[in-house]
Amino acid sequence: MRFRLFTTAAIAAAAAFVAALPAAAQTTLNVVSAGDQNMVDYVNNYLGPKFEAMNPGVKVRAVGTGPGDSGSQKIYEKLSAQQKAGTAAWDVDVAVVHQRGAATMVNEKLLMPYRNDVAAGKLVSRDTAKNALGSNVDGYVLPMFHSQIAFAYNPDLVKAPPKSYAELAEWVKKNPKQFGYNGVKGGMSGVGFVMGWVSANSGLGDKLEKGPYSAGDKATIEKSLAGLKDFNQNVVMTPGNAGTLDMLNRGEIAMGPVWVDMFYTWQADGKMSPKIKLSLPQPGLPGQPMYYVIPAKAANAALAKKFIDLAESPEVQADGIVKQFNWYPGIDPQFVQSKLPPADWNKLFTDISPSDLAKYGRPFPLSDYFTDIVEGYERVVLK
Amino acid sequence: MAAAAERRGRHVGLALISPALAIVVAFFIVPLAISFALAFRAKDGSLTLQHFDKSFELYTTDLLFSLAIVLLSSALIAVLSIAIAGYLTLGENPRAVAVLRWLYRWPLFIPFVVAGQLMRTFLAKNGMLNHVLIGSGLIEPLQAQSLLDWRGIVVAFVWKQAPFVTLLVAGAMASLDRQHIEAARNLGAPRWRVLWDIVLPQVRGTVLVGVVLSFVTMLSVLSVPLMINPNSPTMVTVDVAYRINTHSDYAVANALCLLSLLVAAGGAWFYLRHAVKGAETKP
Repeated sequence: MRFRLFTTAAIAAAAAFVAALPAAAQTTLNVVSAGDQNMVDYVNNYLGPKFEAMNPGVKVRAVGTGPGDSGSQKIYEKLSAQQKAGTAAWDVDVAVVHQRGAATMVNEKLLMPYRNDVAAGKLVSRDTAKNALGSNVDGYVLPMFHSQIAFAYNPDLVKAPPKSYAELAEWVKKNPKQFGYNGVKGGMSGVGFVMGWVSANSGLGDKLEKGPYSAGDKATIEKSLAGLKDFNQNVVMTPGNAGTLDMLNRGEIAMGPVWVDMFYTWQADGKMSPKIKLSLPQPGLPGQPMYYVIPAKAANAALAKKFIDLAESPEVQADGIVKQFNWYPGIDPQFVQSKLPPADWNKLFTDISPSDLAKYGRPFPLSDYFTDIVEGYERVVLK
Repeated sequence: MAAAAERRGRHVGLALISPALAIVVAFFIVPLAISFALAFRAKDGSLTLQHFDKSFELYTTDLLFSLAIVLLSSALIAVLSIAIAGYLTLGENPRAVAVLRWLYRWPLFIPFVVAGQLMRTFLAKNGMLNHVLIGSGLIEPLQAQSLLDWRGIVVAFVWKQAPFVTLLVAGAMASLDRQHIEAARNLGAPRWRVLWDIVLPQVRGTVLVGVVLSFVTMLSVLSVPLMINPNSPTMVTVDVAYRINTHSDYAVANALCLLSLLVAAGGAWFYLRHAVKGAETKP
């Protein structure tokens, strides 16, 4: 009797499970994102729910692979492994990657061209939609947003921030241990500062960004880095991108290079004193976009295109990218500005005007120059 | 007949250890062999030492720095753990012993990455430590300096690993025959003499094993140096991560790994020699 009861219960449970299956059988869109935790938060808290509401039966699952180029490297390794294994359907539908990662993935045929298949593809205008550090990525990428490195400074301690690298070098001599940055091993804001230094002091200028690359420039690069070694005697080395912001906020340094979006987000969260301001020196500091890409054999490619189309729409770019996450828009700003109240739009340009941003917001150097500069830094500055 | 049974017994034994062996081979020996091979392979597939040349050119300072940090931390861990375990064994105030016994284990349950994050705010120039020192009048505000350099790494390592060694050493001390200790105390020996001359010689093996295990663990920690002092000089683990993440250069990363493996092998040799000796002298 007892046994029969148990069997009945088991059958009932199994039946209930089978009945529940169709309801559970929904499509999962796998979004894998490099970058800081805020990138995953953006998809999980903002974009994902929006997309799920518009597409019943679809579940958006976002996974982060970590900050910096290493995050993109992990996505690259995963896709490359699936390519080599001959897998028919890859388990990443949308990936968000850095420029270096995107260039490598396009070269190794890991991505699908899709820009012409989405309506928002026509809204992008910046060069970065076609060119990633010298590699042609035209058609394979759409910038999710642009991010920019700038100097953050404490106006109580720095009345007039240096306008150029030469002025900065003078300022640092007069105010030792008041400028801090995170070297080349602790995050991209430090790497960006070193790139800007070489661009300002080597005389190579545009050639670093536009090419053509010549290995013969190594000596010129290393000569400009010798000056950075002297410069470093009077600065503080900070532990990472967040480390620079922390030290600024605690008043341990008066100035340092930071990511603009991190800076604004910290201020919005109350983790950074509202007094701290930004400035962009000439000839500029690098910035970079993050790209939406679709793997060549994404299991849900059609859905992925729909997802990116939503993400690149002027409404989402205005409300999500600019207003909530303080990034510069990925599509042409003229389409975004009209969707936002002027106050929200201006907040992004309080310290750095759009014209300064256009003049001094530079791309990172070409991949080969990038390597020469960071290795030169290790060889010349760190020894 | 007996030989056949013995052979079958051996087969059963092999079958029993084979799952463990397979895991060791698949997840440790094979990756190690691949790493070894890649460290000596040039882009065109020929054998080369160029990755080691580059490692030495760029990272000799970091290799020496890592070794110095880990050796210094190991020494401090030994001193601290002997002191704590010694007090737990010889302390005469039962309340103090109980409090210490309860307190010292806490860092054991805290991961390295959390320890790194704690130290980052604790040891900063305007961090908690300096606030306390300034507030209690021990230092002037202008004397406050950031400890987030090699000192920060050492503090984090010692804080995290000393309880582990203490746990081992205190266990060994507790299992000693207390007659020796009491005899020495009756003859008037002060507690530090009892610790140094009676207790320590008997637990020397345990101290060595604990310190060597800590040495190897600390050598492989990435999070702490990355969070506290990722700039030059820094530990080799940071350089390995940097070669992979910034340059996707697995070759030099592998060469660096092999070099730190050599250092760790020194520790392993020490450990095996001692463990084998310990096993042989036991009845």
